[in-house]
Amino acid sequence: MSIAEPALEPDAAPAAQDSSSTSRLDREQWLMLVLPPLLIVAGSIGFLWWRSTAELDSVEANALRWSEIGRQTVEHIELTFVSAAIVVLLAVPLGVLLTRQRFRPLTPFAIGLANAGQAAPSVGLIVLLFLWLNGTGLSGFWISIIALSIYGILPVLRNTITGVEGVDQTLIEAGRGVGMTSFGTLLHIEMRLAVPVIMSGLRTALVLIAGTAALATFVNGGGLGQTLYAGISLFRISLMVSGALLVAMLALFIEWLGRLLELAARPKGL
Amino acid sequence: MWQFIQDRWQSIAFDSYQHASLVIQCVLLATIIAVALAAVIARTKGLEPIAGALSAIGLTIPSFALIGILIPVTQLGTTTAVVVVTFYAFLPVLRNAVVGLAGVDRTLVESARGMGMGSLAILMRVQLPLAWPVIHAGIRISTQMSMGVAAISAYVLGPGLGKYTFDALATEGSANSMYNALIGVFGVVIIALIVDALLLLLGRLTISKGIRIA
Repeated sequence: MSIAEPALEPDAAPAAQDSSSTSRLDREQWLMLVLPPLLIVAGSIGFLWWRSTAELDSVEANALRWSEIGRQTVEHIELTFVSAAIVVLLAVPLGVLLTRQRFRPLTPFAIGLANAGQAAPSVGLIVLLFLWLNGTGLSGFWISIIALSIYGILPVLRNTITGVEGVDQTLIEAGRGVGMTSFGTLLHIEMRLAVPVIMSGLRTALVLIAGTAALATFVNGGGLGQTLYAGISLFRISLMVSGALLVAMLALFIEWLGRLLELAARPKGL
Repeated sequence: MWQFIQDRWQSIAFDSYQHASLVIQCVLLATIIAVALAAVIARTKGLEPIAGALSAIGLTIPSFALIGILIPVTQLGTTTAVVVVTFYAFLPVLRNAVVGLAGVDRTLVESARGMGMGSLAILMRVQLPLAWPVIHAGIRISTQMSMGVAAISAYVLGPGLGKYTFDALATEGSANSMYNALIGVFGVVIIALIVDALLLLLGRLTISKGIRIA
């Protein structure tokens, strides 16, 4: 499942972008910075209140121990950020490489492959990797991380290529003109200008990974999916809803962090 | 592997059909709701950014979490699958329909009005055809996403190919488990590619020649 960016193919964008549509996007940006924290605070207060007042039987109380919720949250965050780090380490250099003259013919294949990887159902990919790698001694946690990394590569790879290719050619020539090497222009001009686009791809990947990490529990990979999974298999509504709520709030929080990161990483001049 | 597929060909074909059918019907339903809603949003000032933000927030909710929230209401089975798949199919189409309708040049709408067209005629014959390429792109994204969501919904006994994945997990260690897992992944990929090709064809046939890119 791919999280929709402003879900447009760039060439399908309406040609005439009048000023009203840019201010619309700004207002949406602003809403996306304010609304999620409010929802998360409201959800957390609701959950805390319910958890401390509800009468739970021993199974539910055991599954919803504070220490247990804390452990699963930490695991979920670890799954998400370790995978995202692997994605960045793989996809950004690969994307940059694919924009170099020599490797440009390979770009359609790389994008095609990444696209196909994302057309694969997330749950199927995790289970397949688990059955395949289970004998190798890798834990469910690390197998999940491999699956999540594969899943998150596409948005970052695609945006790195788009971002670097979108840099004005005259700026690169200007860089060469003031005596920069081609590595210098890459580092100081192309990469810097591409950062906003790459960061937006990273945010998409983060949300995708945080959501998919809820499925890690199927292969004993841990995370907040565990409570949800227990709830569905034991048919305990309190566990289902608690698990679902916690997973959703964490995903929302991670998307919000991604947005802050995006703002912080934007070059000052732009 | 081929032996395995041959032995189960009938049920694999049936589940593939069900998977495609679930996704196509839900995307169709979602498109109708989303385009109608977008037409309303496009007429009301100030609603667009709110619709955009709500759609973005909706997309951050993991599908497995939404399934968990829905089960107490819709129980195990097809209803839950339909609601969840439609929900995720709805958001990208809504977003693109809002953006697409906003991108229609206002002078064209005024010309249409000048020619004596009513609001409904303008929507159906001017705005929607011009916004259709953008909406169409949204439908393709929705469809791809829905394929994966439908696979997850098999865990709560929804129809489709996801059941092979969960069978594989349940029979872990047996000889057939790996085959089941492979069908759970590649069956869905193949169905997704076929449906996407059909959607491209649909776009080719329905996007007005005057605004077609390439």
